[in-house]
Amino acid sequence: MLELFINKNITNSVMANILNEFYDVMISNNNWKYIVNGLKNTLILTVFACILGIALGTTVAIIRTTYDTHGKETRNTFLKFILTVLNAICKIYLTVIRGTPVVVQILIVYYVIFASSNNKLGIGILTFGINSGAYVAEIIRSGIMSIDKGQYEAGRSLGFNYIQTMIYIVAPQAFKNVLPTLANEFIVLLKETAVAGYIALEDLTKGGDIIRSLTYTAYMPLLTVAAVYLAMVMFFTWLVGKLERRLRTDER
Amino acid sequence: MKDNYAGPLIKVENVKKHYKDGKIKALNGASIEVEKGEVVVIIGPSGSGKSTLLRSLNLLEVPTEGNIIFEGVDITDKKVDINIHRQKMGMVFQHFNLFPHKTIIDNMTMAPIKLLKMSKEEAEKKALELLDIVNLKDRANSYPNQLSGGQKQRVAIARALCMNPDVMLFDEPTSALDPEMVGEVLNVMKDLAKKGMTMLVVTHEMGFAREVATRVIFMDEGMIIEDGTPSDIFDNPKSDRTKEFLSKII
Repeated sequence: MLELFINKNITNSVMANILNEFYDVMISNNNWKYIVNGLKNTLILTVFACILGIALGTTVAIIRTTYDTHGKETRNTFLKFILTVLNAICKIYLTVIRGTPVVVQILIVYYVIFASSNNKLGIGILTFGINSGAYVAEIIRSGIMSIDKGQYEAGRSLGFNYIQTMIYIVAPQAFKNVLPTLANEFIVLLKETAVAGYIALEDLTKGGDIIRSLTYTAYMPLLTVAAVYLAMVMFFTWLVGKLERRLRTDER
Repeated sequence: MKDNYAGPLIKVENVKKHYKDGKIKALNGASIEVEKGEVVVIIGPSGSGKSTLLRSLNLLEVPTEGNIIFEGVDITDKKVDINIHRQKMGMVFQHFNLFPHKTIIDNMTMAPIKLLKMSKEEAEKKALELLDIVNLKDRANSYPNQLSGGQKQRVAIARALCMNPDVMLFDEPTSALDPEMVGEVLNVMKDLAKKGMTMLVVTHEMGFAREVATRVIFMDEGMIIEDGTPSDIFDNPKSDRTKEFLSKII
């Protein structure tokens, strides 16, 4: 009985210590505001970069698949020329972006390309959007390629043109196939934006780091940051699972 | 169709399809004429070019050489909008190719609504009538994956008919079916032929060819070897290759 009592006391005091420390480091001095503000910036960065990435990635994927399926066969020589040029540009984009680290990319965009601008959030969105677009392009391209050629032929045989066939028949099926991978890309992007601190953009990670330098305490702010990331990732994973189940209803 | 056009419905003039810079010759100069109301069955060994010929008719395969004249229009001409002419040529595939993300009724009404600008009510009414003909009216709201192979193929035929085509192209429509389902699909095709639909059928079903076809074409090595009535081809084949082929399958 006595031992149990002592143990409980120790546990209580450990808990109390942690809570006290949390209060001292995070709540007093309003340090929590760095976390909230950082979280806001991280979410803005991720959401807009994701939108840009999907727009860019879809465009690149469409150009690449159109070239692959039509580039050599199309009867229109002008279209053939345009497609060949666009496809070459897309290939260079994919190679360069996927061949260099995102940290280097954001430093180049900030210090070289937009050296005169101090709109860090804008630069962050642009960099992460362009970076993510390269990965999204390949995800969507694989999704389009995964659809049986017969689906495309059936659409064309009914009289739909290439674009209509893509929109009404191929895209809805391709989207369903790539949704889990696309959602995973969003989650990767959410975590990848943590390097935005390299250009002193105050995102969630940078927020935690600022608290660390202000309070000379490392573990409390950093563990808080980690917990917030984890909570967000778990939430989005749950959301995607729900969406996937809803999309699957027409299969059986 | 041009109002005063009186020529054949489809005229194929010396069509060639070569792959890999001419190393593979899937079609090596095929010419046929098909009149309205004919039921033409194309037979031949695998790799003889019969599917390629059929798929050339609606330009799913673009011929390397030669012309295809459909209802008086040369559809191999680059200036022709092929999508308009494809609306008049229904096609049925070996693997059905129904759209799995759409219900049966949506599979059928999609093209009439979007391309022929039919109202939704009108398109659904027509689709239900056609489903009734193929005995699948009660499956209108099912998804393709809930159907058997034979049912899928009957829906695919009904889907093509929903566009009011002038000709129906069948590319081995029963080859992917379990044997007990072949009959139900062939019966639908027989009824269609009786109603006067112009049909071109690539098939290995010799019984169907003999019973329903008005004309049988035997192909080999990308060329048309024999072209005649079913009894010409099956009972009095002239070419040795036709004789050899028939002796293997019957």
